[in-house]
Amino acid sequence: MIFNSEISGQYEHTTSPVVTGGSVIALVYNGGVLVGTDTLCSYGSMAAFKNVQKIAQISQNTIYVSSGEFSDFQQVVKELAKIDRSALQYDDGVHPSPKDYGNYLARLSYKKRCKINPLYLQNVIAGFHNNDRYLALVDIYGTYLESKFITTGFASYFCKAIISNYWNENCSLDQAKQVIRECFKVLFCRDCRAHDVIQLAYVDAQGTHIEEPERVETKWDFNGFKQRANEKLHTQ
Amino acid sequence: MLKHLYDTDCVTWSPQGKLFQVEYAMEAVKQGSICLGLKSNDHVVLCSLKRQPSELAGYQEKQFKIDDHMAIAIAGLTADARVLCKYMRTECLEYKYTYESHHPVGRLVFKVAEKSQHKTQSGAKRPYGVGLLVAGIDPNGVHLFETCPSGNYYEYKCQAIGSRSQAARTYFESWFHLFQKSNLEQLILHGLSAIKKAIMEDEELNEKNVEVGILGKNQKFTHLNAQELKNYIAQLETFNPNSQIQQE
Repeated sequence: MIFNSEISGQYEHTTSPVVTGGSVIALVYNGGVLVGTDTLCSYGSMAAFKNVQKIAQISQNTIYVSSGEFSDFQQVVKELAKIDRSALQYDDGVHPSPKDYGNYLARLSYKKRCKINPLYLQNVIAGFHNNDRYLALVDIYGTYLESKFITTGFASYFCKAIISNYWNENCSLDQAKQVIRECFKVLFCRDCRAHDVIQLAYVDAQGTHIEEPERVETKWDFNGFKQRANEKLHTQ
Repeated sequence: MLKHLYDTDCVTWSPQGKLFQVEYAMEAVKQGSICLGLKSNDHVVLCSLKRQPSELAGYQEKQFKIDDHMAIAIAGLTADARVLCKYMRTECLEYKYTYESHHPVGRLVFKVAEKSQHKTQSGAKRPYGVGLLVAGIDPNGVHLFETCPSGNYYEYKCQAIGSRSQAARTYFESWFHLFQKSNLEQLILHGLSAIKKAIMEDEELNEKNVEVGILGKNQKFTHLNAQELKNYIAQLETFNPNSQIQQE
């Protein structure tokens, strides 16, 4: 990735993100990998873009999601798609595996971090290759970690307990989906930058499937809320 | 045909549509000592005959490991081969650094071929005077490629290049239908038998002048050591490919 700033010699460093995406939760299940995000891009504290697809399909068996600066996400999607396309010129039918993308992204992130101009992202690459599930996190520093479950952003604080209680790596797809839905329910209640519309996507032996956005279940008609609303004021 | 009118450089065609400089470069490959390769479903074997410039000298190595999953055998100008070998090794290392996985074999051969072609289309350059047999294993399967100074590359089930390689190719034509299902030992014996066809009358195969390299799906590239070579060469006396047919 060459930026105009690098060519002109005038460096502009990303010091803080502007339009940001929220938490990402990814879990492996028996037969594939499931990823969930919400569909919100925040402009600081404003919920500016409420219907954004933040899940990108990079190749036939790889998904890429990230939380953080959304423009960086869009740029990385272009870079990774470029690799997949350029594989066509060799006419040998060989395409990068999900692991290749993960490692490439790690090298890219590390390079940009070394120039103090990072990709302001926590990246998640999920894929299914050779009957193996692949899930990796690449963070803003270029750290590369393969794992069976990954949470970014506030999900790392709120959702790990839910995941460890209700999920195991050999659960079914539906069980994994329920766990992610539950996590986003909690996030919507507690994370100010979260949204109640989420999107799930999974990769398995048949390829990638990106589902339609869905609204998390929320409950607001608690008796406590109703009662408080009708309480007499203290001054009376 | 007044060859000398059209063979000064690479940028001159002959009236018959030939680039003589490229053809002369291919001759250099034919002058090198024989090397051959053959593959089965799980293994690739490279065999080469090493030349000894004089009795005082050592034998010239003909096989080079490019990466754990890839190796080459050369015929022609050794100095040119070293350049290509270094290029291939560098490409594999860079690929591994970026992607943490092995460079797809066909792709690297394509890159070498592109590099070779470059040298055939410039006034100030000459083609590489070396042919490579590239043996490699990647997720796409087991591969054996040949590259030429012309910039062409071909994939083979088995191939021999260098001087007197026609004799080895004739041997292959008779027996290559057995190679796919051969085990490693049979493959090595076939390779050595083919080389035996190509040596001069007063020469003999021994563990010093023969080089055998093996690649397997679960096996990194290795050379047979002197003792193993001796054993295989001894087995050549009793090796009968016909018995392989009876097994199937």
